[in-house]
Amino acid sequence: MNLESSALMELIGGLVGFFLTVMVFSYILGDNPFFRVSINLFIGASAGYALIVAWYSVIWPQLLSPLIFGGQSERLFVLFPLIFAGLLLLKMSSRLSWFGSPAVAFLVGVGAATAVGGAVIGTIFPQVLAAINALDWNPAGRGPGEAWLQVASGLVLLVGTTSTLAYFHFGARPGLGGVPRRSPWLEIVAQIGKGFIAVTLGATFAGAFLAAFAALVERLEFLREFLTPLIFPG
Amino acid sequence: MKSAFSAAIAITFGLVVLAGYFIDLSLLVLLRDVFLRYTVILAAIALVVGVVNLLMVHWRKMSTAQGGSSIYSLLLVVSLILTAIIAGLLGPTNTLALWIYQYVQLPVESSVMALLTVVLVVAAARMLRRSANWFNLLFLATALVMLAGAVPLFGLNIPGLHGAGGLREWIAGVPSVAGGRGLLLGIGLGTIAVGLRVILGADRPYGR
Repeated sequence: MNLESSALMELIGGLVGFFLTVMVFSYILGDNPFFRVSINLFIGASAGYALIVAWYSVIWPQLLSPLIFGGQSERLFVLFPLIFAGLLLLKMSSRLSWFGSPAVAFLVGVGAATAVGGAVIGTIFPQVLAAINALDWNPAGRGPGEAWLQVASGLVLLVGTTSTLAYFHFGARPGLGGVPRRSPWLEIVAQIGKGFIAVTLGATFAGAFLAAFAALVERLEFLREFLTPLIFPG
Repeated sequence: MKSAFSAAIAITFGLVVLAGYFIDLSLLVLLRDVFLRYTVILAAIALVVGVVNLLMVHWRKMSTAQGGSSIYSLLLVVSLILTAIIAGLLGPTNTLALWIYQYVQLPVESSVMALLTVVLVVAAARMLRRSANWFNLLFLATALVMLAGAVPLFGLNIPGLHGAGGLREWIAGVPSVAGGRGLLLGIGLGTIAVGLRVILGADRPYGR
Protein backbone atom coordinates (compact mmCIF):
# COMPACT_ATOMS: atom_id res chain seq x y z
CA MET A 1 0.00 0.00 0.00
CA ASN A 2 1.60 3.33 -1.06
CA LEU A 3 1.52 6.57 0.89
CA GLU A 4 -1.43 8.08 -1.05
CA SER A 5 -3.73 5.08 -0.69
CA SER A 6 -2.66 4.79 2.95
CA ALA A 7 -3.70 8.41 3.58
CA LEU A 8 -6.97 7.78 1.73
CA MET A 9 -7.67 4.69 3.84
CA GLU A 10 -7.00 6.74 6.96
CA LEU A 11 -9.38 9.46 5.78
CA ILE A 12 -12.13 6.93 4.96
CA GLY A 13 -11.47 5.22 8.29
CA GLY A 14 -11.76 8.55 10.11
CA LEU A 15 -15.08 9.23 8.37
CA VAL A 16 -16.41 5.74 9.20
CA GLY A 17 -15.26 6.11 12.82
CA PHE A 18 -16.80 9.59 13.05
CA PHE A 19 -20.20 8.51 11.73
CA LEU A 20 -20.26 5.34 13.84
CA THR A 21 -19.42 7.36 16.97
CA VAL A 22 -22.20 9.89 16.26
CA MET A 23 -24.65 7.08 15.47
CA VAL A 24 -23.92 5.35 18.79
CA PHE A 25 -24.18 8.66 20.68
CA SER A 26 -27.62 9.21 19.09
CA TYR A 27 -28.87 6.62 21.62
CA ILE A 28 -28.86 9.43 24.20
CA LEU A 29 -32.04 10.65 22.47
CA GLY A 30 -33.54 7.15 22.66
CA ASP A 31 -33.45 3.95 20.63
CA ASN A 32 -33.33 4.87 16.92
CA PRO A 33 -32.42 3.38 13.50
CA PHE A 34 -28.95 5.02 13.43
CA PHE A 35 -27.97 3.32 16.69
CA ARG A 36 -29.29 -0.02 15.44
CA VAL A 37 -27.37 0.27 12.18
CA SER A 38 -24.09 0.89 14.04
CA ILE A 39 -24.70 -1.95 16.49
CA ASN A 40 -25.58 -4.45 13.73
CA LEU A 41 -22.47 -3.46 11.76
CA PHE A 42 -20.41 -3.89 14.92
CA ILE A 43 -21.88 -7.32 15.76
CA GLY A 44 -21.29 -8.54 12.19
CA ALA A 45 -17.68 -7.30 12.04
CA SER A 46 -16.89 -8.62 15.55
CA ALA A 47 -18.39 -12.06 14.83
CA GLY A 48 -16.51 -12.31 11.53
CA TYR A 49 -13.24 -11.23 13.14
CA ALA A 50 -13.70 -13.64 16.08
CA LEU A 51 -14.35 -16.47 13.62
CA ILE A 52 -11.10 -15.81 11.77
CA VAL A 53 -9.06 -15.37 14.98
CA ALA A 54 -10.42 -18.73 16.20
CA TRP A 55 -9.41 -20.28 12.86
CA TYR A 56 -5.89 -18.82 12.78
CA SER A 57 -5.01 -19.29 16.45
CA VAL A 58 -6.78 -22.55 17.38
CA ILE A 59 -8.53 -24.55 14.66
CA TRP A 60 -5.75 -24.50 12.05
CA PRO A 61 -2.63 -24.81 14.26
CA GLN A 62 -4.07 -27.16 16.88
CA LEU A 63 -6.47 -29.34 14.90
CA LEU A 64 -6.13 -29.26 11.12
CA SER A 65 -2.39 -28.64 10.66
CA PRO A 66 -1.35 -31.62 12.87
CA LEU A 67 -3.94 -33.74 11.08
CA ILE A 68 -2.69 -32.89 7.58
CA PHE A 69 1.05 -32.35 8.10
CA GLY A 70 1.69 -34.09 11.44
CA GLY A 71 3.17 -37.50 12.18
CA GLN A 72 1.30 -40.61 13.31
CA SER A 73 1.27 -39.66 17.02
CA GLU A 74 0.07 -36.11 16.30
CA ARG A 75 -2.76 -37.43 14.14
CA LEU A 76 -3.73 -39.84 16.89
CA PHE A 77 -3.67 -37.00 19.43
CA VAL A 78 -6.16 -34.88 17.47
CA LEU A 79 -8.46 -37.80 16.60
CA PHE A 80 -10.60 -37.33 19.72
CA PRO A 81 -11.20 -33.56 19.28
CA LEU A 82 -11.71 -34.16 15.54
CA ILE A 83 -14.57 -36.62 16.18
CA PHE A 84 -16.13 -34.35 18.81
CA ALA A 85 -15.68 -31.31 16.53
CA GLY A 86 -17.58 -33.17 13.80
CA LEU A 87 -20.36 -34.01 16.28
CA LEU A 88 -20.45 -30.40 17.47
CA LEU A 89 -20.84 -29.15 13.89
CA LEU A 90 -23.99 -31.31 13.60
CA LYS A 91 -25.54 -28.93 16.17
CA MET A 92 -26.16 -26.61 13.21
CA SER A 93 -28.76 -29.00 11.83
CA SER A 94 -32.07 -29.09 13.68
CA ARG A 95 -32.60 -32.75 12.69
CA LEU A 96 -29.14 -33.99 13.69
CA SER A 97 -28.41 -31.62 16.56
CA TRP A 98 -28.78 -34.37 19.19
CA PHE A 99 -25.59 -35.97 17.82
CA GLY A 100 -23.74 -32.96 19.18
CA SER A 101 -24.87 -33.52 22.78
CA PRO A 102 -21.87 -35.73 23.78
CA ALA A 103 -19.47 -33.01 22.58
CA VAL A 104 -21.41 -30.37 24.53
CA ALA A 105 -21.40 -32.73 27.54
CA PHE A 106 -17.59 -32.96 27.30
CA LEU A 107 -17.32 -29.16 27.21
CA VAL A 108 -19.74 -28.78 30.13
CA GLY A 109 -18.07 -31.51 32.22
CA VAL A 110 -14.52 -30.20 31.75
CA GLY A 111 -15.77 -26.60 32.11
CA ALA A 112 -17.54 -27.40 35.40
CA ALA A 113 -14.47 -29.18 36.77
CA THR A 114 -12.25 -26.24 35.79
CA ALA A 115 -14.72 -23.82 37.39
CA VAL A 116 -14.74 -25.84 40.64
CA GLY A 117 -10.94 -26.12 40.62
CA GLY A 118 -10.59 -22.40 39.86
CA ALA A 119 -13.11 -21.44 42.56
CA VAL A 120 -11.35 -23.48 45.25
CA ILE A 121 -7.74 -22.70 44.29
CA GLY A 122 -8.22 -19.22 42.86
CA THR A 123 -10.99 -17.73 45.02
CA ILE A 124 -11.88 -19.56 48.25
CA PHE A 125 -8.34 -20.31 49.54
CA PRO A 126 -6.77 -16.91 48.69
CA GLN A 127 -9.74 -14.94 50.01
CA VAL A 128 -9.95 -16.91 53.26
CA LEU A 129 -6.17 -16.58 53.71
CA ALA A 130 -6.38 -12.83 53.06
CA ALA A 131 -9.19 -12.54 55.66
CA ILE A 132 -7.02 -14.42 58.18
CA ASN A 133 -3.87 -12.40 57.39
CA ALA A 134 -5.76 -9.13 57.86
CA LEU A 135 -6.04 -10.03 61.55
CA ASP A 136 -2.38 -10.93 61.88
CA TRP A 137 -1.07 -9.33 65.09
CA ASN A 138 2.52 -8.75 64.09
CA PRO A 139 3.77 -5.46 65.50
CA ALA A 140 7.32 -5.97 64.17
CA GLY A 141 8.36 -2.91 62.20
CA ARG A 142 5.24 -0.95 63.20
CA GLY A 143 4.49 1.43 65.99
CA PRO A 144 1.87 0.37 68.59
CA GLY A 145 -0.69 2.75 67.11
CA GLU A 146 -0.25 1.30 63.63
CA ALA A 147 -0.63 -2.25 64.93
CA TRP A 148 -3.91 -1.40 66.63
CA LEU A 149 -5.13 0.33 63.47
CA GLN A 150 -4.21 -2.78 61.49
CA VAL A 151 -6.17 -5.02 63.85
CA ALA A 152 -9.17 -2.65 63.85
CA SER A 153 -9.18 -2.69 60.02
CA GLY A 154 -8.85 -6.48 60.12
CA LEU A 155 -11.86 -6.72 62.43
CA VAL A 156 -13.95 -4.50 60.13
CA LEU A 157 -12.85 -6.68 57.21
CA LEU A 158 -13.82 -9.86 59.09
CA VAL A 159 -17.22 -8.49 60.18
CA GLY A 160 -17.86 -7.20 56.64
CA THR A 161 -16.92 -10.47 54.98
CA THR A 162 -18.95 -12.72 57.29
CA SER A 163 -21.99 -10.42 57.40
CA THR A 164 -21.97 -10.13 53.57
CA LEU A 165 -21.94 -13.92 53.34
CA ALA A 166 -24.76 -14.04 55.94
CA TYR A 167 -26.86 -11.73 53.76
CA PHE A 168 -26.94 -14.48 51.13
CA HIS A 169 -28.13 -17.09 53.63
CA PHE A 170 -31.70 -17.74 52.54
CA GLY A 171 -32.61 -20.49 55.01
CA ALA A 172 -35.85 -19.45 56.78
CA ARG A 173 -38.60 -20.92 58.96
CA PRO A 174 -42.31 -20.14 58.70
CA GLY A 175 -43.07 -17.16 60.94
CA LEU A 176 -46.33 -15.41 61.80
CA GLY A 177 -49.04 -16.13 59.22
CA GLY A 178 -46.82 -18.69 57.49
CA VAL A 179 -44.54 -16.00 56.06
CA PRO A 180 -40.94 -17.31 55.98
CA ARG A 181 -38.63 -15.29 58.22
CA ARG A 182 -34.95 -15.48 59.07
CA SER A 183 -33.99 -15.79 62.73
CA PRO A 184 -33.73 -12.32 64.38
CA TRP A 185 -29.95 -12.47 64.97
CA LEU A 186 -29.31 -13.54 61.38
CA GLU A 187 -31.52 -10.70 60.18
CA ILE A 188 -29.40 -8.18 62.11
CA VAL A 189 -26.13 -9.63 60.72
CA ALA A 190 -27.63 -9.69 57.21
CA GLN A 191 -28.57 -5.99 57.49
CA ILE A 192 -24.96 -5.16 58.44
CA GLY A 193 -23.85 -7.22 55.42
CA LYS A 194 -26.28 -5.29 53.25
CA GLY A 195 -24.51 -2.09 54.29
CA PHE A 196 -21.11 -3.50 53.29
CA ILE A 197 -22.59 -4.65 49.95
CA ALA A 198 -23.91 -1.10 49.37
CA VAL A 199 -20.41 0.33 50.00
CA THR A 200 -18.78 -2.25 47.69
CA LEU A 201 -21.30 -1.67 44.90
CA GLY A 202 -20.96 2.11 45.34
CA ALA A 203 -17.16 1.86 44.94
CA THR A 204 -17.60 -0.43 41.91
CA PHE A 205 -20.12 2.01 40.45
CA ALA A 206 -17.64 4.88 40.84
CA GLY A 207 -14.91 2.79 39.16
CA ALA A 208 -17.20 1.92 36.23
CA PHE A 209 -18.27 5.57 35.93
CA LEU A 210 -14.66 6.78 35.83
CA ALA A 211 -13.77 4.20 33.15
CA ALA A 212 -16.83 5.19 31.08
CA PHE A 213 -15.99 8.87 31.57
CA ALA A 214 -12.44 8.26 30.29
CA ALA A 215 -13.93 6.58 27.19
CA LEU A 216 -16.30 9.55 26.73
CA VAL A 217 -13.40 12.03 26.88
CA GLU A 218 -11.44 9.91 24.35
CA ARG A 219 -14.40 9.82 21.95
CA LEU A 220 -15.10 13.56 22.26
CA GLU A 221 -11.40 14.23 21.65
CA PHE A 222 -11.58 12.03 18.53
CA LEU A 223 -14.62 13.99 17.24
CA ARG A 224 -12.86 17.30 17.95
CA GLU A 225 -9.67 16.20 16.18
CA PHE A 226 -11.68 15.01 13.18
CA LEU A 227 -13.88 18.11 12.91
CA THR A 228 -11.32 20.85 13.63
CA PRO A 229 -9.44 20.63 10.26
CA LEU A 230 -12.78 20.48 8.40
CA ILE A 231 -14.26 23.54 10.13
CA PHE A 232 -11.03 25.55 10.39
CA PRO A 233 -8.88 24.50 7.42
CA GLY A 234 -5.29 25.72 7.57
CA MET B 1 -30.04 -43.86 26.62
CA LYS B 2 -28.71 -40.88 24.65
CA SER B 3 -29.04 -38.73 27.75
CA ALA B 4 -27.22 -41.32 29.88
CA PHE B 5 -24.34 -41.45 27.35
CA SER B 6 -23.91 -37.66 27.42
CA ALA B 7 -24.15 -37.64 31.23
CA ALA B 8 -21.52 -40.40 31.43
CA ILE B 9 -19.17 -38.33 29.26
CA ALA B 10 -19.69 -35.18 31.36
CA ILE B 11 -19.25 -37.07 34.66
CA THR B 12 -16.19 -39.08 33.56
CA PHE B 13 -14.22 -36.24 32.02
CA GLY B 14 -15.36 -33.81 34.73
CA LEU B 15 -14.16 -36.11 37.52
CA VAL B 16 -10.81 -36.79 35.82
CA VAL B 17 -10.13 -33.06 35.30
CA LEU B 18 -11.26 -32.25 38.86
CA ALA B 19 -8.99 -34.98 40.24
CA GLY B 20 -6.15 -33.50 38.15
CA TYR B 21 -6.52 -30.22 40.08
CA PHE B 22 -6.39 -31.71 43.57
CA ILE B 23 -4.43 -34.99 43.37
CA ASP B 24 -0.71 -34.60 42.68
CA LEU B 25 -0.40 -37.59 40.35
CA SER B 26 1.50 -37.02 37.11
CA LEU B 27 -0.93 -39.12 35.03
CA LEU B 28 -3.94 -37.15 36.31
CA VAL B 29 -2.19 -33.81 35.72
CA LEU B 30 -1.26 -34.92 32.19
CA LEU B 31 -4.83 -36.04 31.45
CA ARG B 32 -6.17 -32.74 32.83
CA ASP B 33 -3.86 -30.75 30.54
CA VAL B 34 -4.74 -32.88 27.50
CA PHE B 35 -8.49 -32.53 28.13
CA LEU B 36 -8.10 -28.78 28.63
CA ARG B 37 -6.33 -28.57 25.23
CA TYR B 38 -9.20 -30.54 23.67
CA THR B 39 -11.65 -28.15 25.36
CA VAL B 40 -9.91 -25.14 23.81
CA ILE B 41 -10.23 -26.73 20.34
CA LEU B 42 -13.89 -27.63 20.89
CA ALA B 43 -14.63 -24.15 22.27
CA ALA B 44 -13.25 -22.70 19.02
CA ILE B 45 -15.49 -25.07 17.04
CA ALA B 46 -18.42 -24.03 19.26
CA LEU B 47 -17.63 -20.40 18.32
CA VAL B 48 -17.82 -21.36 14.63
CA VAL B 49 -21.19 -23.04 15.27
CA GLY B 50 -22.39 -19.92 17.07
CA VAL B 51 -21.31 -17.55 14.28
CA VAL B 52 -22.86 -19.78 11.59
CA ASN B 53 -26.06 -19.92 13.65
CA LEU B 54 -26.06 -16.09 13.92
CA LEU B 55 -25.63 -15.91 10.15
CA MET B 56 -28.47 -18.38 9.55
CA VAL B 57 -30.86 -16.60 11.93
CA HIS B 58 -30.31 -13.26 10.19
CA TRP B 59 -30.47 -14.89 6.75
CA ARG B 60 -33.91 -16.26 7.68
CA LYS B 61 -34.92 -12.84 9.05
CA MET B 62 -33.89 -11.24 5.75
CA SER B 63 -35.93 -13.69 3.70
CA THR B 64 -39.06 -13.54 5.87
CA ALA B 65 -39.15 -10.13 7.59
CA GLN B 66 -40.41 -6.97 5.97
CA GLY B 67 -39.45 -3.36 6.60
CA GLY B 68 -36.60 -2.10 8.78
CA SER B 69 -35.56 -5.25 10.62
CA SER B 70 -34.45 -6.97 7.39
CA ILE B 71 -32.12 -4.03 6.63
CA TYR B 72 -30.41 -4.44 10.00
CA SER B 73 -30.01 -8.17 9.33
CA LEU B 74 -28.63 -7.43 5.86
CA LEU B 75 -26.04 -5.03 7.35
CA LEU B 76 -25.03 -7.62 9.92
CA VAL B 77 -24.68 -10.39 7.33
CA VAL B 78 -22.73 -8.19 4.90
CA SER B 79 -20.34 -6.90 7.57
CA LEU B 80 -19.82 -10.44 8.93
CA ILE B 81 -19.08 -11.98 5.52
CA LEU B 82 -16.89 -9.07 4.39
CA THR B 83 -14.83 -9.14 7.58
CA ALA B 84 -14.50 -12.94 7.45
CA ILE B 85 -13.38 -12.84 3.80
CA ILE B 86 -10.88 -9.98 4.25
CA ALA B 87 -9.41 -11.23 7.54
CA GLY B 88 -9.60 -14.86 6.38
CA LEU B 89 -7.80 -14.38 3.07
CA LEU B 90 -5.28 -11.75 4.18
CA GLY B 91 -4.85 -12.86 7.81
CA PRO B 92 -6.20 -11.23 10.99
CA THR B 93 -3.10 -9.02 11.37
CA ASN B 94 -3.19 -7.69 7.80
CA THR B 95 -3.50 -3.89 7.39
CA LEU B 96 -7.02 -4.14 5.92
CA ALA B 97 -8.25 -6.48 8.66
CA LEU B 98 -6.76 -4.18 11.28
CA TRP B 99 -8.40 -1.22 9.49
CA ILE B 100 -11.81 -2.85 10.12
CA TYR B 101 -10.84 -3.39 13.74
CA GLN B 102 -9.56 0.16 14.19
CA TYR B 103 -12.29 2.07 12.37
CA VAL B 104 -15.41 -0.09 12.86
CA GLN B 105 -15.04 -2.19 16.00
CA LEU B 106 -13.03 0.18 18.18
CA PRO B 107 -15.17 3.35 17.65
CA VAL B 108 -18.42 1.47 18.38
CA GLU B 109 -16.93 -0.30 21.40
CA SER B 110 -15.52 2.83 23.00
CA SER B 111 -18.64 4.86 22.09
CA VAL B 112 -20.87 2.28 23.81
CA MET B 113 -18.51 2.45 26.79
CA ALA B 114 -18.78 6.26 26.72
CA LEU B 115 -22.57 5.97 26.55
CA LEU B 116 -22.37 4.14 29.87
CA THR B 117 -21.60 7.51 31.54
CA VAL B 118 -25.07 8.79 30.69
CA VAL B 119 -26.75 5.45 31.41
CA LEU B 120 -25.13 5.22 34.87
CA VAL B 121 -26.17 8.77 35.82
CA VAL B 122 -29.76 8.16 34.62
CA ALA B 123 -29.88 4.81 36.46
CA ALA B 124 -28.62 6.40 39.71
CA ALA B 125 -31.19 9.23 39.47
CA ARG B 126 -33.98 6.77 38.70
CA MET B 127 -32.96 4.57 41.64
CA LEU B 128 -33.08 7.52 44.03
CA ARG B 129 -36.47 8.66 42.69
CA ARG B 130 -38.02 5.19 43.06
CA SER B 131 -36.97 4.61 46.64
CA ALA B 132 -34.62 6.65 48.78
CA ASN B 133 -33.96 3.95 51.40
CA TRP B 134 -30.77 3.69 53.51
CA PHE B 135 -29.21 1.09 51.17
CA ASN B 136 -29.58 3.33 48.11
CA LEU B 137 -28.38 6.41 50.01
CA LEU B 138 -25.31 4.58 51.34
CA PHE B 139 -24.60 3.27 47.83
CA LEU B 140 -24.78 6.75 46.28
CA ALA B 141 -22.85 8.41 49.13
CA THR B 142 -20.03 5.89 48.68
CA ALA B 143 -20.03 6.43 44.90
CA LEU B 144 -19.88 10.22 45.37
CA VAL B 145 -17.03 10.03 47.91
CA MET B 146 -15.09 7.68 45.61
CA LEU B 147 -15.64 9.98 42.64
CA ALA B 148 -14.84 13.19 44.53
CA GLY B 149 -11.71 11.60 46.00
CA ALA B 150 -10.46 10.25 42.68
CA VAL B 151 -8.90 13.51 41.53
CA PRO B 152 -8.11 16.86 43.21
CA LEU B 153 -11.24 19.06 43.15
CA PHE B 154 -10.41 22.24 41.20
CA GLY B 155 -6.75 21.52 41.85
CA LEU B 156 -7.28 21.22 45.60
CA ASN B 157 -6.55 18.18 47.75
CA ILE B 158 -9.11 18.08 50.54
CA PRO B 159 -7.54 16.79 53.77
CA GLY B 160 -9.33 13.70 55.04
CA LEU B 161 -10.64 12.82 51.58
CA HIS B 162 -7.69 12.73 49.18
CA GLY B 163 -4.31 11.07 49.53
CA ALA B 164 -2.91 8.42 51.86
CA GLY B 165 -5.07 7.92 54.94
CA GLY B 166 -7.99 9.76 53.36
CA LEU B 167 -11.61 8.62 53.42
CA ARG B 168 -11.46 7.43 49.81
CA GLU B 169 -8.45 5.24 50.46
CA TRP B 170 -10.01 3.83 53.65
CA ILE B 171 -13.29 2.97 51.87
CA ALA B 172 -11.40 1.37 48.96
CA GLY B 173 -9.13 -0.58 51.31
CA VAL B 174 -11.42 -1.71 54.15
CA PRO B 175 -15.26 -1.79 53.86
CA SER B 176 -15.26 -2.12 50.07
CA VAL B 177 -12.77 -4.98 50.23
CA ALA B 178 -14.78 -6.64 53.03
CA GLY B 179 -18.01 -6.59 50.99
CA GLY B 180 -16.16 -7.61 47.83
CA ARG B 181 -14.52 -10.51 49.65
CA GLY B 182 -17.88 -11.68 50.97
CA LEU B 183 -19.37 -11.47 47.47
CA LEU B 184 -16.38 -13.31 45.97
CA LEU B 185 -16.62 -16.07 48.57
CA GLY B 186 -20.36 -16.36 47.87
CA ILE B 187 -19.69 -16.57 44.13
CA GLY B 188 -16.97 -19.17 44.76
CA LEU B 189 -19.27 -21.29 46.93
CA GLY B 190 -22.07 -20.97 44.36
CA THR B 191 -19.69 -21.99 41.55
CA ILE B 192 -18.59 -25.05 43.52
CA ALA B 193 -22.20 -26.06 44.22
CA VAL B 194 -23.30 -25.67 40.59
CA GLY B 195 -20.11 -27.29 39.22
CA LEU B 196 -20.46 -30.30 41.51
CA ARG B 197 -24.13 -30.71 40.54
CA VAL B 198 -23.04 -30.86 36.88
CA ILE B 199 -20.13 -33.23 37.55
CA LEU B 200 -22.35 -35.53 39.62
CA GLY B 201 -25.04 -35.52 36.92
CA ALA B 202 -27.75 -33.79 38.98
CA ASP B 203 -27.85 -30.94 36.42
CA ARG B 204 -27.52 -31.87 32.74
CA PRO B 205 -27.39 -28.69 30.66
CA TYR B 206 -26.29 -30.43 27.44
CA GLY B 207 -29.50 -31.49 25.76
CA ARG B 208 -30.62 -35.04 25.11
